[in-house]
Amino acid sequence: MRKTPFLFLLPALILLILFVIGPTLFTLYMSFIDWTGRVRGFVGLKNYIEIFSRKSIINLEKPPLSPPPRGALIHNALWILIHVPLSTVLGLVLAVLLRNVKGSTIAKSIIFIGMVTPMVVGGIILRFIYDEHAGIVNAILRTMGLGWMARTWTAYPDTALLSLILGSVWIWTGFCMVVYSAGLETIPDELIEAAKVDGATSFQIFRHIIIPLLKPATIVVVTMSVLWVLKVFDIVYVTTLGGPGGASTVLAFEMYMDAFFRIPANYGTAAAIASLLTLITLGFAVYVIRLMVR
Amino acid sequence: MSAEKKILTNLIVSFIIGLLVGAALGVYLIAPLLAPPPPAAPVELTVFSLWGGAEEENFLKCLKAFEEETGIKVKHVHQTTEGLMVGVPSQFAAGKSVADVIIAPWPAWIRSLAKEGHLMEITDLIDPTKYPKDYVDLVTVDGKIYAAPFKAWAKPGFWYKKSFFEKHGLKPPKTWDEFLDLLEKLKNIPGIEAPIASGDGVGWPLSDITEAFIINRGSPDLQVKLINGEITFTDPEVRKVFEELTDLIKKGYFSTPDEWTAQIDKLWNEKYGIYFMGNWMTVMPQVKDVNDLGFFPFPGAKGVVAGGDWVIIPKYTEHPEEAKKLLQFLAGPKGQEIMVKQGGFLGTHADVPAEAYKPADKAVVDFIKTVKVVADLDDAIGGDFQLTFWDQLKLLWVDPGALDSVLETLKDSHLKTLGKG
Repeated sequence: MRKTPFLFLLPALILLILFVIGPTLFTLYMSFIDWTGRVRGFVGLKNYIEIFSRKSIINLEKPPLSPPPRGALIHNALWILIHVPLSTVLGLVLAVLLRNVKGSTIAKSIIFIGMVTPMVVGGIILRFIYDEHAGIVNAILRTMGLGWMARTWTAYPDTALLSLILGSVWIWTGFCMVVYSAGLETIPDELIEAAKVDGATSFQIFRHIIIPLLKPATIVVVTMSVLWVLKVFDIVYVTTLGGPGGASTVLAFEMYMDAFFRIPANYGTAAAIASLLTLITLGFAVYVIRLMVR
Repeated sequence: MSAEKKILTNLIVSFIIGLLVGAALGVYLIAPLLAPPPPAAPVELTVFSLWGGAEEENFLKCLKAFEEETGIKVKHVHQTTEGLMVGVPSQFAAGKSVADVIIAPWPAWIRSLAKEGHLMEITDLIDPTKYPKDYVDLVTVDGKIYAAPFKAWAKPGFWYKKSFFEKHGLKPPKTWDEFLDLLEKLKNIPGIEAPIASGDGVGWPLSDITEAFIINRGSPDLQVKLINGEITFTDPEVRKVFEELTDLIKKGYFSTPDEWTAQIDKLWNEKYGIYFMGNWMTVMPQVKDVNDLGFFPFPGAKGVVAGGDWVIIPKYTEHPEEAKKLLQFLAGPKGQEIMVKQGGFLGTHADVPAEAYKPADKAVVDFIKTVKVVADLDDAIGGDFQLTFWDQLKLLWVDPGALDSVLETLKDSHLKTLGKG
């Protein structure tokens, strides 16, 4: 009888082993192999040493606040530091503002369009948005009398990374808003009404009732956002190809270039970057799961 | 009946039934083998190339001629640069190939695939003496030829809209000073965003014009030395060329890089004055009237970059004999003459008649004969250097002040890719 639950788990377990655990372990194995063009043998930590010695992965010569490129690892960290808080706060604000508003479903649907748009299409749209002559960003700047600032934002090393991050915030905010909207539905109206009766202001209700009760939704939003930005690739590939001068490269892009674009392909270093990415993601996921369990 | 007899009867009956079932099964399994084989499905070859639009239409006509001559069907599948460069090696790594024949413009890529054992050797399929020696040498590994030269192309100089030049009283420059004078005049024309269009996308249009500067403001030998790794990007002679180029960027003569075909549209809409591009410009759909398209060589031209497209056969093709026939047709004078007659295509086979060329292509062919022809720098070296070269030039175009770091980065990648770092 004790075996029955395991029998039910078996089909899913087999699929997981075949398509998740197996490839992950194989990638980890590959990261210790010299696989430049063809398999050349076990090399220990050589691939890891190589990727960490590359300026395209981490550029330690540049001080933290200097303009890009600072290396893919730092760029990924910047993605997390800028993208996650911005999309989380924007999603929360939009969800609260659109709560109980007539016609909010239409507004929410429009905001959510970015989320259902394929990232490749999103990337192409960003190229247009940031174009010096045809882009809406520069059109707005000119309307505001800031025409001197107009430029193709993704073409310059000092603005390419930030342009991509802000573009991705536009795409991802829809997801955050939907999760927060669902979270808001779970807050009993009685609680808010009771607070109003006690004389609480709208801000106090937001600060002391809504935000604490939205903690589970916040954990989901932050977790998903961090995972989203850690594996960001397509938007970078389509919009800037990691450039100019490596100014907008990220880990997933570097991994792709090593595995498929360089001649000969270096699957060993690509696997090392993939393993590094998995390790960071796994570490974060474990931390968040612990937080949720508490 | 005794029990023994009963068992014996049952055994005999079982044996007979077993025999009958076995015989029936045998007939069922063997019959198809004895029957005459069904007619074989006609072979259909799949060809990959980077050609789309008008170039693809022209190529399809050539493939149709092959089909009519041999009865072998051919399907052409257009590939993007990334699709071909990335997708094909991935299939090869798995021991498979969707394409039976592939046409690619990167000799370094072809050599790399040949070294890894993914390509069929074609030494006996072509007569190497019928092609320019360099075109064969570039795809030869350890004395074995792995690709057949199909198309030659050149990046001869700048293209412009004749009616636009006439409207503003501009003339194609013949000297460097006249060129600088033209750029200044173009810059001052209302509505012009920049005198020279800068193409982007993967990055090759920027490397093309940079190489034109290396060859013509430096020398063709400078490019050859860079290809061979005899000098690198921090060499004073190379640096001088880059300083000259950077100076023009600083003066605002080059546009911000943008997708290269979109830039042809803008050239045609008179947002830019001139555009450095290869001879395929004549078949680009963005050029609304090819008779209004003018061309002038790099002022004081000393050399020109020419390259090609090669035909390869993956080792994993299921139709090797048919693929060999197609390779021979494309690399032979018959297939190339069909392409040449349609324009925008320069043949590689010595027996392609000169009268087959259209006037615009003939002008390019004649111009090429007057200068030294050198290989494309990044295509010849390939690998990490090619990507770095493209990316660093994008940086230089928007941040000319980064010249020092650009040259240092190029030096590192150049030496590393050539195995000298």
